[in-house]
Amino acid sequence: MVSSLIKKDLFKSFDKSYESEILIAKPDRYRDIEKKSLLSDNLITMGSALSYAPASFKKNSLSLIFEKFDRIIEFDKKKKTITVEGGITFQKFLNFTLSHGLWIPQIPGYPLISIAGAVATNAHGKSCGYHGTIRNQIKKITLYHKENGWLKLSEKENREIFELTIGGFGLTGTIVDVTFDLYDFAGFNFSTSIENVNSTTDTINKIKNERKNENYIYSWNRLDQSSKLGNGFIFQNQINLNDKKKNLNKIDCIDYNHKKKILPFSLWNGYSIKFFNNIYFYFHKYLKKKKYHDDFQSVIFPFIGKERYFDMFGTQGFVESQILVSNKYIELFIEEFEHLHRKYTPSITLFSIKNMNGKQNYLRFEDDSICLTFDFIRNNKNLEFMNFLDELCIKYQALPSIIKDSRISKNIVDKCYKHAEEFRNDLKKFDKKKIYRSELSDRLGL
Amino acid sequence: MNYLIVGASSGLGRNLAYKFAENSQNLILISRDLRDLEAIKSDIESRFHVKVIIHEIDCSSYIELDNFLKSNQNFFDNIDGILFPIGMINEDDNIRNESLPLNKILFGNYASVLRMASEANRIFIKRNKGVIVGFGSVSALLGRDQNLVYSSSKRALDSLFESLAITNIKNEIKIQFYVLGYLESNMTFSKKLILPKGSTNILSDLVFKNLDKKYKKIYFPFWWVFIAYILKILPFFITRQFFKLHLLLLSYLRN
Repeated sequence: MVSSLIKKDLFKSFDKSYESEILIAKPDRYRDIEKKSLLSDNLITMGSALSYAPASFKKNSLSLIFEKFDRIIEFDKKKKTITVEGGITFQKFLNFTLSHGLWIPQIPGYPLISIAGAVATNAHGKSCGYHGTIRNQIKKITLYHKENGWLKLSEKENREIFELTIGGFGLTGTIVDVTFDLYDFAGFNFSTSIENVNSTTDTINKIKNERKNENYIYSWNRLDQSSKLGNGFIFQNQINLNDKKKNLNKIDCIDYNHKKKILPFSLWNGYSIKFFNNIYFYFHKYLKKKKYHDDFQSVIFPFIGKERYFDMFGTQGFVESQILVSNKYIELFIEEFEHLHRKYTPSITLFSIKNMNGKQNYLRFEDDSICLTFDFIRNNKNLEFMNFLDELCIKYQALPSIIKDSRISKNIVDKCYKHAEEFRNDLKKFDKKKIYRSELSDRLGL
Repeated sequence: MNYLIVGASSGLGRNLAYKFAENSQNLILISRDLRDLEAIKSDIESRFHVKVIIHEIDCSSYIELDNFLKSNQNFFDNIDGILFPIGMINEDDNIRNESLPLNKILFGNYASVLRMASEANRIFIKRNKGVIVGFGSVSALLGRDQNLVYSSSKRALDSLFESLAITNIKNEIKIQFYVLGYLESNMTFSKKLILPKGSTNILSDLVFKNLDKKYKKIYFPFWWVFIAYILKILPFFITRQFFKLHLLLLSYLRN
């Protein structure tokens, strides 16, 4: 029997790959977290439910919506540290820290994403080539586990669980609060420069050379012209130190509706991709200045106001594949990828490249490597092509992102992530009954 | 100005705390959840330039509240206004239940408000200044089978605030009473209801805006005023049928 504290709801993942009836409870006090965790044998915590893959729910299982836990618990401007509850969104978090000239640079692409969600997925943001992932800023975590109780986690306290929790997809329990080390944010907006590139290899060579550069460096490349695969632009966002005025605009208050009605078919196809790519390409090549001022919001959260990009995939949705390829194999990987692309002509709406820095462990999407991002229309032809991409990942020891790609299987993860079994074993030691579960964890046997 | 909010750790109380802090009012917050009070205090003090004092008191316990008020005799001296967004519901609150925690529900919903409001009122009369805001419920409009102690406490609360308004008719003390319909809150989160839920944000705005009104009795959401009026003018043998219809509609919605 379903308790009166639980609501049944039909829920769909952001990429529209998975839909199921789930149970929802919404704690709004600390004792409620304990009480509501007892309502079901299996549960998982839900932040903003904006992960592409279904990481915060599964069929007939309980999801604890954590949005009421969005408070600042402690802030020390001198020591540059902040403790916030896990349900706080980046919008609220940054509006506060930036007003004190501080921030964390590892910010995921949408302001409604919750801090706990970013910790559970080890989010990286655009400057990951220099700053690495959000793991580098985390000092402490307070975790609640239904059977293990309230735990303080840090490098010094419960270190194993601390490591399991960062990038652990919420499987160690509810991330109640997180303490971060903050960086100074010297300027108050960005100066953006654009550089033309004529191929994927050209882009990679230029991006590699900027590895030590603190700026945000990423590319936009076209894959809709088989004769000029990978031509496009490299964008470089530099914090504008000349602009000292502290009248930073607040990040817009937006409300994302998970249940909005979208078209039953995709508006993206070979023609529309070519059409929009041409507009974007020629606008940036001929009309846009090569160097211009950009405000904070449009640099950090480029998808604000452009949510229609995702809606255009219709109810069938999309698949995003994000892959980390080592510097050693990147050229070979790209060569084979382009060969396969010419042969199978998949429909890719977005292709982007950036640097990544860090040390790989467990299931964390983190390494010293090049990060490739592709958005595919979800159709049989593309899904078939993605199987070849999986084979490439295995061949070149590349890491496919688990949180982005909702079709990725246990077999591929086990072959690509050398610490996957270690993660499973350590998680099992901590949570013997596998209480915290999602579609993602079930699919990957975590 | 210093405002006391009783029941501030969640729902409407928490919302009111933020609304008042946003408008630069210092706060004294009471709740039985210390961890939540501490979180609200640190959040409000970090984000707004106001002072927040917190007290962990379980208002459904007569002894606890009595002890607190006896050991803090001057508690109301620096308070300019007091708000009671407090409510306690028990799933087994019906006349057939022998083990019902009657005292707790009665004290949590009514007697604690009576105790604090009357003490505060005495201080406010001396100063000829102050505001007392109470929150009732539409469940008090009609006798009922479920939540019996809760709804009768809320009806008593309605009468208490009318009495407070009459007591203070010749002075500057302001009395306001809100009769609340369904609100977006933890209590109604999983419930399928016949009428739409009101927003606690809009209600908090309204409460703050009305603070300087001498006497107000407001139904929120507003359509409840019409329902209340109809229920009042009709004889009980007819309103009983409304109750049956209501139960029928609810069982239809829930199935």
